[in-house]
Amino acid sequence: MNKKTIPALIVLILSILIAVGSQTFLGACVHGDGSFGACHWAARAMLALGGTQAVMAMLALVFPKQKQGLYLGMLPVSVAGLLTPGTLIDICKVNTMRCRMVMRPAMLVLFGLTLVIAMVGCLTARGRNA
Amino acid sequence: MILKAENLSKRYMRKTGQANYFHAVKGVSLGLRRGELTVLMGRSGSGKTTLLHMLSGLLTPSEGVVRLGDADLYSMDDEALSRLRNKKIGVVPQGRSAIDSLTVLENVLLPGTMYGSGDEKEALRWLDALEIAHLAGARPAELSGGELRRMALARALARKPAVLLADEPTGDLDDVSTERVLTALKDVTRNSGTAVLIVSHDTEATRYADVLYRMDGGMLKEESLICRADA
Amino acid sequence: MKLRQLPLKNLLRRPGRTAALVLLTAFLALSVFCGSVVVRSLQSGLDSLEARLGADIIVMPATAESKVSFKNMLLQGTTGAFYMDASVLEKVREVEGVAIAAPQTFLASLKADCCAVKVQVIGMDPATDFTVKPWIDRSTSRALEEMDVAVGCDVTADVGEDLRIYGLNTHVVAKLAETGTGLDTAVYCTLDTMKRLLAAAEEKGVGHKITSDTSDMISAVYVKVAEGYDVDAVNNALNGHVRKVTAVRARSMFTDVSDSLTGISQTVALLIGAVWVLAFVILLIAFAMMVNERRREFAVLRLLGASRRGLSRLMLAESALCSLAGGMIGVGVAALAVFPFATLIETRLGLPYLTPPAREILAMAAGTMLATLLVGALASAWSAWRLSRTDVGIALREGV
Repeated sequence: MNKKTIPALIVLILSILIAVGSQTFLGACVHGDGSFGACHWAARAMLALGGTQAVMAMLALVFPKQKQGLYLGMLPVSVAGLLTPGTLIDICKVNTMRCRMVMRPAMLVLFGLTLVIAMVGCLTARGRNA
Repeated sequence: MILKAENLSKRYMRKTGQANYFHAVKGVSLGLRRGELTVLMGRSGSGKTTLLHMLSGLLTPSEGVVRLGDADLYSMDDEALSRLRNKKIGVVPQGRSAIDSLTVLENVLLPGTMYGSGDEKEALRWLDALEIAHLAGARPAELSGGELRRMALARALARKPAVLLADEPTGDLDDVSTERVLTALKDVTRNSGTAVLIVSHDTEATRYADVLYRMDGGMLKEESLICRADA
Repeated sequence: MKLRQLPLKNLLRRPGRTAALVLLTAFLALSVFCGSVVVRSLQSGLDSLEARLGADIIVMPATAESKVSFKNMLLQGTTGAFYMDASVLEKVREVEGVAIAAPQTFLASLKADCCAVKVQVIGMDPATDFTVKPWIDRSTSRALEEMDVAVGCDVTADVGEDLRIYGLNTHVVAKLAETGTGLDTAVYCTLDTMKRLLAAAEEKGVGHKITSDTSDMISAVYVKVAEGYDVDAVNNALNGHVRKVTAVRARSMFTDVSDSLTGISQTVALLIGAVWVLAFVILLIAFAMMVNERRREFAVLRLLGASRRGLSRLMLAESALCSLAGGMIGVGVAALAVFPFATLIETRLGLPYLTPPAREILAMAAGTMLATLLVGALASAWSAWRLSRTDVGIALREGV
């Protein structure tokens, strides 16, 4: 474990948090009548994006030589994650709903962090494995 | 005389024992001349280091005066004394004296940067003269005791001080290095007119001395003039 | 090499120690910044609530629930529905000292279109309303017409969209400015629109304890007292003159809110103070230990010509760098927690909560940085002072 793997490790943890959190403690609410709103499907998309990013971070740890490319790949995933709740997929219309109050801000913060850290990882990995 | 000490004494309070005070240094007067290499011999605990600290303006004497040129060191304020020490007095202390967070070269440059900017050419010249130029970029932690000693010497010399006070400069060195260091000090004395004081218990140093003092029980015992530069 | 770089190099040389100092100051900055933003947001929330509720007296049905549900509606945005006969309005207007009496009717929507969302629908009389109307006027120059609604800022329907309430299509014509109160989750319409919505609700079988004809129902009357009249006297007169209703002074309704706000402010101030003192003591010990450990290094610096003041500057610079880094991390993390989750905080506290404007937030961030710098400087000053008293000669002999 050297210094340069730290970004991948952090992204891995955050991505797992995104994937697991969006389905549990950071997720959208289930409606009283058991039906699903759009926010439920937005949460599913979070699971997919977070999971994808977690796999990429894991690959970056296992194959350090491919690190830079993997970090680059995380950038659009993070951007997609930032855009999904509320922009690409609708969530509830009232700010006091769980999806707007908890899920969206949490996902914005987490994907914002992975975006920044992937950028940092990309820059620190640059020129090393040339 | 560039550096002159008159009737220097240093008393310490004893924590235990009958006598209240003990004199580490007692009534020492001595002078250092430009272009002269003075060696101060003496057994451990004879007060050599205490005297050197007082001469370099680091330890306020209980009695007596130290003058550098016209300046009375211990009547100056801290700011002025520090500046004077930085510009005029080079000190090589006993033991480790490297700043660990800096490289060897940065250590040598450090005194220069305190009141201006360090002279990198001069620093490298001294590292080269003392044969540690290849370690310029290394950290002090990677150096041996002898290398550290030479680094401290280069650090003092790179400032072109008027007075150089070295406490056991050959302490950790082998014979070859000892000779190199002493030769370098002798050269500085000759070529730049620096007044050099070496405190040592190494008899090898006496071979290079212009003036030799011996210290015992805090008092200066004898002075033997081997060869005056101007004689 | 520049001497300025020495503090940073010293810090980087000991990453563990530096990280501990930075983390500590970050924690301090986090608590100071979070605390002050939350307290300030609560204050501006209460201010905006009072401004929004510009009535002197509120008249509502004389049931225990109506008062509670009215308050919850304002504070937490929960829905409430209680009704009294519209004739109350005329009786209120008869009372001497009543300058304006404006009726409002409340309805809890079951479900708006998009998701399971219950919103409070508030019907008001554009001719007399002086609480919500001016607020709506600030967002749109257009008067609300039949089936037009204005939405609070927390309802994320946009102007021009349709909002279905009880199967009826309403047209969103305005989006209101944030108040930080429960009013942000409400939908506003005229009394005429409200009558249609009430009828539709009843058709859907939603019982609102409506006993008679829905067209003659109101929920509350907002009263403005004429100049020269004592509000308490008018309040008493209303309670005596109009039957089956309670008149409540608007201010007395929120005394407990402002009381709990004071309590929260004091608690937060106490916590910040405790964290500050704790951080100060820990930093004090940390710097004292550091100075002890680095006595020889400092002595060497003195020997090379650094003055006492120079050493103090070095120490202060090191502590300032730690504080600066810690302060920025602390404020950054706090910002990530406190701003995106503002609605969550508001809901959890159940109090009006309005994030202050950016200018004030920047001022608070600057104040936080100052507080962390100060604690670092004070903590290191003592060690710097002690250090300057140390005899260089003695320090040099130690641990040779």
